[in-house]
Amino acid sequence: MTIAYVMMQNLRRNRTRTALTIIAFALPMAIFVAAISLVVALIEINAISARELRLGVHHKTTLVNPLPEGTRRKIEALDPGGKRLTAVCGMRWFGGKIPNESGTIQSLAADADTFPRVYSDAELTPAEIEAWNRDRAAAVVGAGVAETYGSKYSGWKPGGRVVLKSTVPPYLELEFHIVKVMQAKGQANVFYFRRDYLTESFKTAGIDSPDCNIFWVKCNDAASLAALQREIDQTFANSPNETKSEDENTFRAGFTQALGNLPGLMRAMAIVVVVIIALVAGNTMMMSFRERTRELAVFKAIGFQSWRIFFVVLTESLLLALLGALIGIVPTTLFLLSFPIRRMGYLPISALTVSPWAVVISVVIALIVGFAAGLWPAYQALRLKTVDALRRVG
Amino acid sequence: MALPLSYNWRNLFVRKTTTLLTCLVIATVVGVFTWLVGFAGALNRSLSYANDAHKLIVLKQGATSETNSAILPEDYNKLSQVQDVAVNPKTGEPLRSPEMIVQVSLPRRRDNGTTFANVAVRGVTDAAFGVHRNVKLLGKGFSSGSMEVIVGEQAAKQFGGVQIGDTINLGYSGNRGYKVVGYFSANGGPMETEIWGPLTTLMNSYNRNMYSSVNVLLNDKADPDKVAKFVQGPSVDLNAQTEPAYWYDQSKNIRIYLGIVGGLVSIMCVAAIFAIANTMYATVAGRTREFAMLRTIGFSKNQILLSVVIEAVFLALLGGAMGCIACEAWLVLAGNTKDMFGATTFTTMAFEIKLTPYMVVGALLLVAGVAVLGALPPAVRASRVHVIDALREP
Repeated sequence: MTIAYVMMQNLRRNRTRTALTIIAFALPMAIFVAAISLVVALIEINAISARELRLGVHHKTTLVNPLPEGTRRKIEALDPGGKRLTAVCGMRWFGGKIPNESGTIQSLAADADTFPRVYSDAELTPAEIEAWNRDRAAAVVGAGVAETYGSKYSGWKPGGRVVLKSTVPPYLELEFHIVKVMQAKGQANVFYFRRDYLTESFKTAGIDSPDCNIFWVKCNDAASLAALQREIDQTFANSPNETKSEDENTFRAGFTQALGNLPGLMRAMAIVVVVIIALVAGNTMMMSFRERTRELAVFKAIGFQSWRIFFVVLTESLLLALLGALIGIVPTTLFLLSFPIRRMGYLPISALTVSPWAVVISVVIALIVGFAAGLWPAYQALRLKTVDALRRVG
Repeated sequence: MALPLSYNWRNLFVRKTTTLLTCLVIATVVGVFTWLVGFAGALNRSLSYANDAHKLIVLKQGATSETNSAILPEDYNKLSQVQDVAVNPKTGEPLRSPEMIVQVSLPRRRDNGTTFANVAVRGVTDAAFGVHRNVKLLGKGFSSGSMEVIVGEQAAKQFGGVQIGDTINLGYSGNRGYKVVGYFSANGGPMETEIWGPLTTLMNSYNRNMYSSVNVLLNDKADPDKVAKFVQGPSVDLNAQTEPAYWYDQSKNIRIYLGIVGGLVSIMCVAAIFAIANTMYATVAGRTREFAMLRTIGFSKNQILLSVVIEAVFLALLGGAMGCIACEAWLVLAGNTKDMFGATTFTTMAFEIKLTPYMVVGALLLVAGVAVLGALPPAVRASRVHVIDALREP
């Protein structure tokens, strides 16, 4: 009779309890893996953004208040030698949507000359940069947008033509030529096109409005970013156009907060879930230990060492936790992978895919919980006074 | 005679650890559940006060919200063709309110101004106070033509720098100081998160000659849908929606958010069913002889079944009460304020999460239901105890 056999028999003895525990463990675990996936995805995106070293400069009052085009020159003048900043890219919100569709695409007009350098994570190849420079109507689009609309409309692929109608005055309808579908996670749901095209189209419509909503400053290193952030805001302080500069992660966090702080909620959910599974597992282990006190005493009486008994009880708890975790994690992972949620809306939901890290974290958490839940009963088993336990009735 | 309730109540304290652990599982689930219900309730309450079906919100064709709509004065004049507009009983003027929406970025008080929220600033004329029937001045209003604003109650509560006596910087370049002179309520509706000021002064400050939207109050005999159709027709050619329809669109993203959280919470509720079943199975298994004895002294099968279910309901109510208390404590300690962007307004809607007695009763009823579901299978087993065999057991 091996120890492994004893453990399997133990799990099999009260099948109802084993099944109930595993299900009560698996369901919260399914939530945990989804919640932690979102958190991990966001950490990954933030890490990428932090590496990109972009500083966003917008009007202090709000993002909607425009800054004049000339702001770019003034920012560049802060570092004429190019030692601290690589390039500055002005952007203007277009908020285009496909005529007769409801969802607004995050579409922005960007300075054509500096866009490829400031957005190196768009990974434009030299040929694509040439196409972007040559064609005034060129546009690059995130994989999420391309997937969402590609199934319904033609044109959402490199070389294709698409039409977007702006949701902001004067509601221009423009045709774009797609030169690239961006695979970068942080750019899944964005659409960039050339700002000179927009300014020109404004002029045709009789409007002279070359202003920008935001300027993205690509910095050479983290120290320069921090220094420029201070200097830029100082430069424009007390001018008619006071600025507020934020690094890309802070800027994005502002939106995440405004959209209800889903990542914060998911972190809270993850904690709640760990509490629940710990209680469920702990409860089960306490119950089965109580019922088995005499049996464990018998094991001791016939010569099993105490540490073996300790090991048996603890392993049983770990086994339960592992089974529960697998039953929770596997279906959720398959579900999330087969229905990419990134088609839905903005960051951070759009970033939700299950990364191997999320799965690893979930399994590790489950094992820690299993270990913690088994520890107290196992310790009691270790200390068990054989004679007293045998004498106890019921 | 049924089994006395004190029998069940005292049974819960025979196995203190198990009872406590199960209670904590239930408390955690109920705590999260009541928070979610409180959130959904706050949102619905807010939207139900923006539910004047006789109010039309007129936007430019192609605009998705008041924020990105631009109505030229000649467009506004076309609205004089609209029939069935209510009139101001004092002046006899039709209740048509041209309005301009801009925004200001304000620090959130709940995190001491670390993060900022975009708050709508609405330029209005006297007509607005007739059209928006739920808006009430609390104290002093602004004088038209002045650089004064009044602030919605909820905005004053949740954001910094907008209390009476403060000056907010507004305007195209954000350098026009507007003094806060009073507060207003909107009966809890989304307008309570807005700042109102005189239309003409604000339009000057922003160098604008266009309105954002026109709000029209129809008289009681009017058919709002028919009037909206007319506005959309060729002679006016503007987009018109009733207020409930408008807010239904703008709260779409919040409803998706609530849907995600609701889905997760219902999974947790199912897990709680299994946790309760597990505990009750263990309780029943440990009391086989007791049930047999009860059968011998004349209690029927159904009475024992009922007794086990009642015991589970006690357990669940105990946990549920703990959960409700924990949720209320959380709201008191961590703050109950929350704000979220509308779907396309780019301005925030602030509300306060509150637990009402109805919500607490609802949560307790739900958890009682969960307990019944979880306890039924073990209760059936208890009621089917084989009397003679069970009594003979050691």
